[in-house]
Amino acid sequence: MIANLIVGGLAAGCLYAMVGIAIVIVLNITDIANFAQGEMAMVTTFFAYWLLDSVGLTWWQAVPIAVLFGLVQGIVIQQVVIRPLIGSPVLSAIIATLGLNIVLNSVAGLIWGHQTYTFPSPFAFSPPFMIGTVPVSVDSVVNIAAGLAIVIAMTWFLRFTWIGLGLRAASQNPTVARMMGVSISRTSAIAWGLGGLVGGISGILVAPSLFLDTNLMGALLIKAFAGGVLGGLNSLIGVFLGCLALGVAENLVGAYLSPAFGEAITFIIIIAVLIVRPEGIFGRVKARKV
Amino acid sequence: MSVAADITRAQRQAASFGVSSVLLGLCFAAACAAPFVLNGYGLYVLTLTGVFALVALGLNLLTGYAGQISLCHAAFFGVGAYATAILTQKVGLPYLLSILVGGLLTACIGAVVAVPAMRLKSLYLAIATLGFGVVLQKIIFEWRSLTNGGGGLALSPPAIAGYELGATGLYYLTLALVTLGIWGAWNVSRGRTGRALLIIKESEIAAGALGIPAARYKVIAFAISAFYAAVAGGLFAYLVRYIHPENFSVGLSIAFLSMVVIGGLGTIGGSIVGAAFYVIVPELLRGIKDAPGLVFGLLLVIVMVLMPQGLWGLVRRLGRRA
Repeated sequence: MIANLIVGGLAAGCLYAMVGIAIVIVLNITDIANFAQGEMAMVTTFFAYWLLDSVGLTWWQAVPIAVLFGLVQGIVIQQVVIRPLIGSPVLSAIIATLGLNIVLNSVAGLIWGHQTYTFPSPFAFSPPFMIGTVPVSVDSVVNIAAGLAIVIAMTWFLRFTWIGLGLRAASQNPTVARMMGVSISRTSAIAWGLGGLVGGISGILVAPSLFLDTNLMGALLIKAFAGGVLGGLNSLIGVFLGCLALGVAENLVGAYLSPAFGEAITFIIIIAVLIVRPEGIFGRVKARKV
Repeated sequence: MSVAADITRAQRQAASFGVSSVLLGLCFAAACAAPFVLNGYGLYVLTLTGVFALVALGLNLLTGYAGQISLCHAAFFGVGAYATAILTQKVGLPYLLSILVGGLLTACIGAVVAVPAMRLKSLYLAIATLGFGVVLQKIIFEWRSLTNGGGGLALSPPAIAGYELGATGLYYLTLALVTLGIWGAWNVSRGRTGRALLIIKESEIAAGALGIPAARYKVIAFAISAFYAAVAGGLFAYLVRYIHPENFSVGLSIAFLSMVVIGGLGTIGGSIVGAAFYVIVPELLRGIKDAPGLVFGLLLVIVMVLMPQGLWGLVRRLGRRA
């Protein structure tokens, strides 16, 4: 019983984690909490669906193209909306992403309507793994593996490549980074491109577990933020584990404590954790010079 | 925005006080005359603007002055609405008194919410307050004996001193409370508290060095802000006459925050303009076939990209040029 609940929680948690990672990449480098991330991923997923359904590509052909589309989408949005706002209050940029959220949602609604679609997955008909007596769906395993792969790849990229070092420098101290020859405007564009790319992957992996419609990401976005805060926003692995923990906690609280207050108790747990550790479980205190 | 900019701004405002007070008087006169010109629907939209402006005034003290993000103002708004409704309908208190009691009660809840806020910043604070919002909304939903839960609460028209308040009466009450709210926010922001909050926003360490207890002022800011939201909730309950826990979800909190930012952070006029933008523009766009969301979202983005300091910054710039 409890093993089933934990596995179910992990399956939900890895959906949050996929969105969470995309949000955190943008957040850490540009300080902007991107409320449009979910809708950007939704549009990318619909684009993938269009490639599969109308153009007739196979899954393995359509997904790389769609992910590339996500990358371009992120860069275009950064150039049009975010670049003019560099240097303005961060809240203005956040509200702009909120507006973008509404725009993308309506545009998707105009193009694809408001009915639901079933997004195919190449793993849909594989038999579930058995861990002991607990069945684990292949989708969840693929999601967790993909999430871990993204975390490792991003960590490597940020630590060991010149571009990644530039991104981290720009997030720590824009002025000094600029003096060292890092273009702030370009790092912001790269961050948004990466966010769009990872968001696209997450949308495509999440969609088979849910139904594809224009509100695909609405429920996941807030949970991803909450899981990210629980884990600690400045550590990618922290965000990943935080989101998984959130999924498991929701399932356990709902089953054992109170189904009605499940969500509320989950948030009380998050608040309690934040009172003890204001930077999240895995977060480090960001050193700031005064 | 630096403190120096604020100081020069304050001086410049003092210089043009004559013009702006005339404009202010004209606006107030127009607001008083509105019920004679507008139909019932227009009056409803205007009253709703006033109600949201009251929330935005309070939230602006917290977010614009003290720099604290809150995503539980919809819940404060809801607690105020439910407290006022229950005190009036079930306990039998007079309407105005129950608004006041509801406001004070919610101010206490606001002070409690402020406790974790003393250590949290930016997005962490946003998620913690979001959590409080979810918890409060859930309590309203599950406390069925008091709030009728998911069934919602239907209300009869309010009365003040035996005189039943119609749509026009409620409008004038809202106008009076918004005026009071502006006066209160003006005093708070110009006084010791407002200056302390501005310093806390700039740097808590600097505030501490000046002997300003940041923790206490944050609690005060949260409490005042919750009080504003609750009073607005009390008006809202009797404006729509049917309240439901789902009315007070996270989406509304985000809308309140957007009003403050669109109008202009840290400005009183901005709260009013932002609320008006958020209420009136979607109503105007209703006629456009299947794209009101698209146009509103685009406007939101355009306003932010072209005017990062909010609409009030534009108003002020035009005023200076004139």
